[in-house]
Amino acid sequence: MLFINKQKKVESSLAEYRQKVSTCIEIFENSILQYLENSDRAMLEKNGVEIHKAESLADDIRREIEVMMYSKSLFPESRGDIMGLLETMDRVPNQAEATIHMISNQRINIPEQFHSQIIELVSICVRCTTALLESSAKLFSDFTTATIALGKVDELESEADHLEEAIIKQIFTSDIDGFEKIMLRDTVKQISTVCDRAEKSGDRIRIIVAKRRV
Amino acid sequence: MPLLPALTPLGGGLFLGWTLGANDSANVFGTAVASRIISFKQACILCGMAVILGSYLQGAAGIETLSGLTTQSVSTAVIVTVSAALTGTFMTYLAIPISTSQAVVGSILGIALATGNADYSGLTKIVLCWIGTPLGSIVISCVLYKSLEWFFRTVPMSMLTRDKILWGGLLLAGTYGAYALGANNVTNSTGVFSGLIDGVSDRTLAAIGGVAIAAGAITFSKRVMLAVGGGIMPLDAFCALIAVLSMSITVHIFAVIGAPVSTSQGIVGAIIGIGILRGVQAIDLKTIRKIALGWIMTPILSLILAAAAYAIFL
Repeated sequence: MLFINKQKKVESSLAEYRQKVSTCIEIFENSILQYLENSDRAMLEKNGVEIHKAESLADDIRREIEVMMYSKSLFPESRGDIMGLLETMDRVPNQAEATIHMISNQRINIPEQFHSQIIELVSICVRCTTALLESSAKLFSDFTTATIALGKVDELESEADHLEEAIIKQIFTSDIDGFEKIMLRDTVKQISTVCDRAEKSGDRIRIIVAKRRV
Repeated sequence: MPLLPALTPLGGGLFLGWTLGANDSANVFGTAVASRIISFKQACILCGMAVILGSYLQGAAGIETLSGLTTQSVSTAVIVTVSAALTGTFMTYLAIPISTSQAVVGSILGIALATGNADYSGLTKIVLCWIGTPLGSIVISCVLYKSLEWFFRTVPMSMLTRDKILWGGLLLAGTYGAYALGANNVTNSTGVFSGLIDGVSDRTLAAIGGVAIAAGAITFSKRVMLAVGGGIMPLDAFCALIAVLSMSITVHIFAVIGAPVSTSQGIVGAIIGIGILRGVQAIDLKTIRKIALGWIMTPILSLILAAAAYAIFL
């Protein structure tokens, strides 16, 4: 009975953690969309603070889960797997936060000719993270189906890579200033890394499922 | 005769029971302890209680079978237990897994051949059960594998629930295995003394033997448990549960029949069964050859030792 309660508590905290990651990604998307729309740096800075708060809350929940797991409430194998998953998942909101801070602190200017592609890249990152969260949720309801959503993660990550390459090519064939080209390229890479991190976390889910497959 | 001096010849049997407990308890709780599902202390308590209970409630059938093989005196009973213990020690030195049951039966046969007083009807049953142990375990593990595979593939569940079912199952299977170990193997410890000590019934002998096995598990099994557990673990929790449960069911069936068999052979049979379903390449043929060698050598060696000891000392 005690174990059932502990398990429910861990599962509910993990659901809360996923919710916070989702909030971070929403702020990430809205921040970039708003910035592209009106180039309002003050708003971007405000969003930077918001995403930092959401990311910190996610970190707090992650630490709570870690403490909960070290109180020997879970079997060692499950404990190690969940810790590993959280460690990789945590890098996704971290990357989203770092991207917003980069655009804000380095005063990145995104020329209008790249707006539609950047919006598309951000949208891919959001969908990729959503698929990752869906897959990780499945681990705690029907773990054998957790890898289904991972196909979507891989597909979107690959799409993000192609788009990133296309944008970078376009940046270096455009007539914008050389220094701005470098800054813009780094920004595009930074955004696209959100998908890479989601994919890495997805690989961890694959291992968790494979270990338990019969 | 006062009871304590009368029990002195039991020393060899108790020593054998202690050795058996120290070695074979690893087959039932090794995985759970090595993977820290339960502590060694908790495993000892569960194992000790289940072994004594199994010995007391169902150990008498095996004692009846062993005592039917030949007529024993106190001296021959001591030779039987000491020869079996020496065989076990020698084979362990060669790192060949052995069956205490085979060592004891081999020693009894050695005495029977030396005295010309053998009853082979009981022996046929025992040898058939020895062949039946790995085979039965293979069949049971295949059935369990397919049933549990269907269950885990069909019923949607959290990975934590799945782990809980498997590890909880492993704990229950281990306790059941300890019960089966006591019920089946206690006869190796004190069975040969059946009818030789005044005022001590077969059931009391079984209880005393059970205590000896439990003492072996509690005092000296930690290293073997960790070694065996570490060896079985790479099979994963799912296969470890099937292996321990198949072995427990097989050994319990033979306890009811009254034939002392080997838990090690039971667990190896179960692992072979899993290997067959997962692909033959998973089976380590070198290990199988080593086990087969021990399977043949153990009864022969203990038979020779017991017959020689009888010729020299009696």
